[in-house]
Amino acid sequence: MKIILPNSTINIIQEDPVSITSILDNLNINPSEVIVSRNGKLVPEDTLIGGDDEIRIIRIAHGG
Amino acid sequence: MNQGNPVTGRSERCTLCSEPPVIRLPEPERHLCAAHLIADVEERAARTISERELIKSHDRIAIAFSGGKDSTALLVILSRLLPAWEDVSLVAITVDEGIAGYRNDTIRAAEEVTKKLRIEHVCISFTDLIGDDLDTLLIGRETQACSVCGILRRKALSVAAHKAGATKIATGHNLDDEAQSVLMNTLRGDLPRLVRTSDADSSGCFIPRIKPLAEISEKEIAAYLFVQDMFPFLPECPYTRHALRLEVRTMLSAMEQKHPGTMRNLIKSKRAIEKYVDPSVFSEPLRRCRVCGDPCSGELCQVCSLRKSLGK
Ligand SMILES: [Zn+2]
Ligand SMILES: [Zn+2]
Repeated sequence: MKIILPNSTINIIQEDPVSITSILDNLNINPSEVIVSRNGKLVPEDTLIGGDDEIRIIRIAHGG
Repeated sequence: MNQGNPVTGRSERCTLCSEPPVIRLPEPERHLCAAHLIADVEERAARTISERELIKSHDRIAIAFSGGKDSTALLVILSRLLPAWEDVSLVAITVDEGIAGYRNDTIRAAEEVTKKLRIEHVCISFTDLIGDDLDTLLIGRETQACSVCGILRRKALSVAAHKAGATKIATGHNLDDEAQSVLMNTLRGDLPRLVRTSDADSSGCFIPRIKPLAEISEKEIAAYLFVQDMFPFLPECPYTRHALRLEVRTMLSAMEQKHPGTMRNLIKSKRAIEKYVDPSVFSEPLRRCRVCGDPCSGELCQVCSLRKSLGK
């Protein structure tokens, strides 16, 4: 499973299945400061992910 | 109604239909699909507008439109609510501060959005306003970036709004911004500012400002745009942000995560205080700027005193 971090670096995670909440927790990212997509679609943080999922963590930039 | 797994709260479906959820929201706890998120956000903005009487028939609303996420959401929402109001028109105003490597992209994005939504769009630059762009004005005083920029942006917006014949200025301030401001003013001990910031000011001299997104969280706004392919992936402003706001933001979002409702409660406290405060206690006698005649609290308005210190 591929995790794309806000700074565009890519993490490969073997653990499966796992919730997005626990991934954010491990990365020390506050869920209210990001939105997360799975294979291009927005998903809630309590979603379980695994397999070939491509997860993208998008930082909600401040301002504007 | 699909309540999800009672133990984990996890849900494979939207609480209101059978589509996959895109977001989980508290109070009331619910999972929403893209279509229901969009409807939820637009309904709540419409409710804020009607409950606080932010928009009335025959208003011409100038939307402060930077091209960032909050003002993009504001523009989309107001353009969709527009048919419900009698004889209301919208004009988007973009202020070009003149920040190299940052503003060009956002202005291009702003133009695309207004074209797509068919909303009248006006740009005003700091160069139009004061003769120089922000980068030039800030040489040797980079640490004052946010305050210099804030004063000039406010002025540029009001000049452009007057010119466009606007009766209100709408800004994209969201729930997080509002909660941060309450806490910041409290931490600074600034009670006048704490109770004076809400909704439209009725002094009659300024164009009243309205904040239709004040009840919607930053995350909901980001999600609302993302599911419509309108989330602006834009660079952040290169100048350092207001240090205190950044600290308060991190602290409040951590608190909100642990104790959902924290931000709403802060705003509730502020509104409760406002009810008991006699506004005349804080209203200074209205004066006029000695140079430009704009209403202000001192001898010079902020713009003129800035001009003076810049030697402009
Ligand atoms: Zn639904
Ligand atoms: Zn002045």
